[in-house]
Amino acid sequence: MPFKQLLRYFVPAVFVAVLAWPACTKVDFEDPQLDDHTSEFAFPLFSTTLNLKDLMLKVLNDTLSGDTILVNADNTMTLFYTGDVAEKPASDIFSSFTGGLFPLTDTLSFGPLDSLPGVSISRADLKKGKIGFTIFNLTADTLSGTLRIPQMSKDGVVFTYPFVAPAGELSGSPQIDLTGYVLASDDNTLEFIYAAYTPAGDRVKIPDFFGIPTFIVQFDSLEFSYLQGFWANQRYSLIRDTIEIDINQTNLVGDVQIVNPKVTMRIANSWGFPTRGVIKYLSFIGQNGEEIPLESTVFVDSAVDFNYPKYALNEIGQTKYTDVTLDSTNSNIAEIFNSQPTRLIYEVDGISNAENDPTIVGFLTDSSLISLSMRVELLLEGSAKNFGAEQTIDLNFGNLTDLDTSQVESVEFKLVGENGLPVSSNLQLYFLDEAGVAIDSLFSDGAEDVILSAPVNSEGVATGQTRTEHFIPMSAARFERVRQAKKAFLTTSFTTAQNGTVPVKLLATNNLTLKMGIKARTKY
Amino acid sequence: MLFRYKSALICFFFVGRLAAQQELMLSSMTDLWHSNSVNPAFYPKDKRIYIGLPAYSVDLAHSGDITFQDIFRKDGDRNIIDLDNAIAKLEPENEMFLDQRIETVSIGLRSRNDKWGLQFSHANVTTGWVQYPKALAEFLWNGNGPYVGETLEIGPKADIFDWNEWSVGLSRRFGKVNFAARFKYLTGAGYLRSDENRTLVSIYTDPDIYQLTLKTDYVFYSSSIVDAVDTSAYGYDFSTRGFGGKSSTENSGYAIDLGFDAQLSDMLSVHVSAVNLGGSIRWKKDAATYTSKNEYLYEGAVIPGIDIINGADSLDFDSQIDTLNDIFKFVKTEGGELTNELPLRIYGGANLKLSEKWSLGFNAMYQTHYERVNLALGVSARWQPLKWLALGGMYSANSRSVANIGLQVVFKPGPVQLYVASDNVLNGFSVKSSPGVNLRAGASLLF
Repeated sequence: MPFKQLLRYFVPAVFVAVLAWPACTKVDFEDPQLDDHTSEFAFPLFSTTLNLKDLMLKVLNDTLSGDTILVNADNTMTLFYTGDVAEKPASDIFSSFTGGLFPLTDTLSFGPLDSLPGVSISRADLKKGKIGFTIFNLTADTLSGTLRIPQMSKDGVVFTYPFVAPAGELSGSPQIDLTGYVLASDDNTLEFIYAAYTPAGDRVKIPDFFGIPTFIVQFDSLEFSYLQGFWANQRYSLIRDTIEIDINQTNLVGDVQIVNPKVTMRIANSWGFPTRGVIKYLSFIGQNGEEIPLESTVFVDSAVDFNYPKYALNEIGQTKYTDVTLDSTNSNIAEIFNSQPTRLIYEVDGISNAENDPTIVGFLTDSSLISLSMRVELLLEGSAKNFGAEQTIDLNFGNLTDLDTSQVESVEFKLVGENGLPVSSNLQLYFLDEAGVAIDSLFSDGAEDVILSAPVNSEGVATGQTRTEHFIPMSAARFERVRQAKKAFLTTSFTTAQNGTVPVKLLATNNLTLKMGIKARTKY
Repeated sequence: MLFRYKSALICFFFVGRLAAQQELMLSSMTDLWHSNSVNPAFYPKDKRIYIGLPAYSVDLAHSGDITFQDIFRKDGDRNIIDLDNAIAKLEPENEMFLDQRIETVSIGLRSRNDKWGLQFSHANVTTGWVQYPKALAEFLWNGNGPYVGETLEIGPKADIFDWNEWSVGLSRRFGKVNFAARFKYLTGAGYLRSDENRTLVSIYTDPDIYQLTLKTDYVFYSSSIVDAVDTSAYGYDFSTRGFGGKSSTENSGYAIDLGFDAQLSDMLSVHVSAVNLGGSIRWKKDAATYTSKNEYLYEGAVIPGIDIINGADSLDFDSQIDTLNDIFKFVKTEGGELTNELPLRIYGGANLKLSEKWSLGFNAMYQTHYERVNLALGVSARWQPLKWLALGGMYSANSRSVANIGLQVVFKPGPVQLYVASDNVLNGFSVKSSPGVNLRAGASLLF
């Protein structure tokens, strides 16, 4: 049965082969590749939070010392712009009498205490100085005696100094230290009394040399620690200064109304006699350089009397302060500030004893001074409408610059603002190439309100946050252009709540958060 | 992770619609020498010498309706992965199963009085299970853009290992009952398993500006497979040696198979067996634990407002997400010992010989491996029109499907046994159009 044997062995093989043919496949899983398809990836780009307090600190020009911002107890903020402190120390007065020569024409001679015009000194305390005298004895006898100055004493002991003048010689005393001596005179005059005796005990007058006194007293390097006397009516220059107001020196333009600006003049006076300040010049300078005088009902004939320490009340060494505040209730400052002045210029003179009261005893110590400072106070409360600014900024897209955009189908930026400020912002960003030419803009249809004002209560205080979202789609071609930009030109304008019609308060706790994410559709 | 896995399917390719059937058909083919692999008490009657030639079985399936063609396609000489169709068919949690057995050689001897039997065999076995969420495929294919505001949990689970079995068995017939025991020395080749309680990998894209929050609490164990986890740049680079490698005695274990086959009468026989009793492997070679527990938040470039205010007149977006190394921060703990258990299978059944040509079979299989359980019940019929040809079919139901039709074809020309069988043949002849494959084929010589 060959056929059966053939059937027995080969039919199974053929049957297996036929059935196995469709399945005789080598299944190869090596190196599979992804099919072309579209994916979408979403990830964040950046976030930043701007604190209003930091912004206000920046607005104050760092080069002007004294400018500061104060956070009040209710978190409102007050900007202080301070001018230089003008000081007039008493050294101007003290330097008027540092020494001099007193030739004695007789055994009793008089010498005035020189000082400033209009000043009569009744007492002067010395903290330093020297006195000495020379004698040219033309007689044939050696003379001996003493020099006495009754108005000069120390610890109650009148100055008396002995001398011996050899005959026919020029002699003199050593330099005598006057530290601790007090000069006291009711008539601004010193008496010099010398008693010269011959060896026989006769008191004589030392003769002149052809009319030239031969007994000369010399004061040298006098420094006073205290002066007391009468200051008559005298006028002197006190200060001329300029205060820069940085907040108005930005490139922000638009309508801004500050609710209650103030200018405060503070005088610190330790001169012991009445002084009247005369406002020679007090004006703001506007945006275009125009002069805007500051007028106030506080000044009487453009003058104001300064407080001073009184001799009669034993206030020697004390400092008295005088604050003169100009605000919307007593001046035109509010109207001036709403024109956004850039600086304040002021010039003040002083008049001592303006009433020329002879009964007033005045004094000065070596540390007495009168100082004057002006300060502009701006409480950050007000309204603004279309308060605009422009700025060019550098851009660096990092790794996005090198991304292979052939695999990018489109992108969509998501710009989110979380605003706790009572200010809305309108923004447009132009992307610039290296030559500064605009190649695209962030918003295709012009500037958009990217930040909306936080809600405010009746007091103009922000009571929450307003969140805004903007979706900015871009095709791959547009994204390719934008990411090559090296700079961006930002134009923005700010408007306070309710379209700038109500004043709002800017609090130190206000902040604004800006953040952006991106969705990119990729194709493989 | 990539399976470097080439396989030549030489045999019949009856593929089923569903998942692993674990050779229920084979347990009804008691006259095949290779049926010994499911019950050590099975042996072809009236023969004394058995030489098992290479046999191959594979059970590969994916849950749901996913087919090979839904994922892979050819474009010229390129293998293309296209998930568009596949993702739509995925369930929230998806599983892939693999059981592969390559019996290289086996030898059996019976004593002249047919009371004693001795057997030796070697086989290479791979078993694997991967569970992955639909969210993982969606994230990899679609990106995170469509899922803003959602937390995608994408951590997969895996339990894959392959080993060699070196077996020696002994059987003893007592009257009509043949008892057998088989001792198996196991040498592991590769092992990869995720910790069942720590497989968290989640990604959340915040709807604010798409900030990314990545959380991990993920642990996996490896022996002889993963050398390192390098997630530099934005890609994963598992340094692996692939499965199917050389086994090592450093990874050793033992298992026992027990069974009996009782010929109750000329017509009726019953059989019960337990495979992989106490089976476990201790993995020591290159054993390591990889742990990632981290929470990473990426918010983009945070530009201090004070810098902008103070005149930093530039906007610098050059802030990139950290490398995945920095995010996942896998920590490798070397040394120690990993232990895993082999799937335990219990077979039982009965064969009823109706005539010389017809027989019926009732078969059951119970498998448990950790928390995964599969129970299958089947009814089979076999027709032997010729002495050297047998055809059979089976209807079975299991934990995942109630409609499985199996087929067997056996050729026994002379001393040769050739066979092919499948527990599920409904989907035709190509694996590419079905989510599962179940196939066994082999040959042996009987003397």
